[in-house]
Amino acid sequence: MQLKKKLGIVWKKRSAVSVAISNVILASAVITVSFVVLFWAQSKSSAYNQQFSEAMDSDIAKLKERLAFEYVYYDKDKSNLTVYLLNCGTIDNITIKTVYVYFSNNGTPVKVFSSPILTHFNGAQIEDQDLDRGEEGCFTLTSLSLMTGVSYSVRVITGRGSTFDYTFIA
Amino acid sequence: MITHSLHRKDFRKLIVNPKGFSSVIGTTFMVLVMLVLATSIFLWTLSKNTEYFQAMKEKNQLEMDRLNERLSTENVNYTVSGDVVSVEVNLKNEGSLPVHLTTLWVLDTTIRKYGFNDTLNINLKPGEILTIKGTEAIKVFIEGANNTHIFSSWFITARGNAVPLEKESGIIVAQVSAGIGAIAMNFNKFKYYNVSKVGSSYILNNYPQGGIGYVITQPASGGIAFEVSLINFDPGKRTITLYSSSVLFTVFPVLPQQPRGSMWYIVNVNTNGVISNTYTPIQLAYGVETSVFFASAVELKEGNVFSPAKAEYTGTAPVNIALVGKIGNDYYGQNIPFTSVYIKNP
Repeated sequence: MQLKKKLGIVWKKRSAVSVAISNVILASAVITVSFVVLFWAQSKSSAYNQQFSEAMDSDIAKLKERLAFEYVYYDKDKSNLTVYLLNCGTIDNITIKTVYVYFSNNGTPVKVFSSPILTHFNGAQIEDQDLDRGEEGCFTLTSLSLMTGVSYSVRVITGRGSTFDYTFIA
Repeated sequence: MITHSLHRKDFRKLIVNPKGFSSVIGTTFMVLVMLVLATSIFLWTLSKNTEYFQAMKEKNQLEMDRLNERLSTENVNYTVSGDVVSVEVNLKNEGSLPVHLTTLWVLDTTIRKYGFNDTLNINLKPGEILTIKGTEAIKVFIEGANNTHIFSSWFITARGNAVPLEKESGIIVAQVSAGIGAIAMNFNKFKYYNVSKVGSSYILNNYPQGGIGYVITQPASGGIAFEVSLINFDPGKRTITLYSSSVLFTVFPVLPQQPRGSMWYIVNVNTNGVISNTYTPIQLAYGVETSVFFASAVELKEGNVFSPAKAEYTGTAPVNIALVGKIGNDYYGQNIPFTSVYIKNP
């Protein structure tokens, strides 16, 4: 009743209407801008979250990776180096990205191989080209001339970026 | 009460004169937005960090477990049949964690070929001892493998450890064998017998007990026979065949410038102590202690028949056991010179 009376007064004395409208518009604009800022900040922070999450997940996955070298055999007649591996980590899908062979005494690289073909120990190719938990697999590096009796190292770099080294005598 | 009244006054003032009201709302919103965002990012980052540290902890635990695996192996033996190497071994889990063996690798170092058996599923509880032998021996295919070859092998555990199969005694024996010969004599089983003729056969008296071979009483008649216990320790595990020309001989220092000798050629003795008239080559299988008898005055070949031998002299004499024959397919000879005897008259 009192509000109705006040509105009636405002209607009769129209001098204050513009002030009220302007205040309403200003408040609305501020609220709108605030929401826009909120959504923008939200989207920015979620992009950051996404990036951080990916980096963190990748690091965690790398931590869980572990490859054991069961045997490294150099066939001097065929100039082939066969590397036998076991995934003894706690994560599946370990892929082999790059393999380096280098002199173990001074680190001088001998040869670099990209994405060697993974096979089971019986020679059959591994379909998904990765090693799951507890899975064994091997790859053969061809055309590799090594000196018999010399110590070399083989470095395996996985798809997730973990590195595993093993030293052997050719 | 006074503060509350002042706030009410301020609020009324703001209603009456709403200038700056929007700024208050804007600021409030901004603060709220910042608070919400900061809190959510902080909490989320915290959870991610926790996840990371959890993974790190798990990795460290795995690494610790891997380092704490303790598996010992002993009595390793390799037997080759065809191209299949059978590995016998005694395993003991000396660690505090269970061990799961997944693969056995065998390397034939003689021909530099290798094989593996990745169908193992051996679980050992802490402190558990497992003997793998006989029909349970682990079989590995290696093309061209042979009993005479030298092997090395290792197990792979599920945690990624390699456990070598140690053959400690084998290494020592191999070194000694390479240095002084493949045949060893058991000095605790050096015996002698008096030989007497019963009917048309010669027999060993008091067979198989005999007497200690180091002090011998010369019999009035008949002869003397020696029993020597030999073991083949050839690292290549080849069988040694002894020819009829293998002889046990002594040198008596009768006078410094005139040593005298007596000799006893190798003979065959049956389970009743009867000496055979002819000689069939004796074979020494790897690692098997075999009794070999020396009793004949002549080498039992080309129609020669057994004739008892005795010491022609008395006193102290060094004994040499000169063995000739074949090791595997190669000729072989070895002299065992470490014994001496004292022969006295009755």
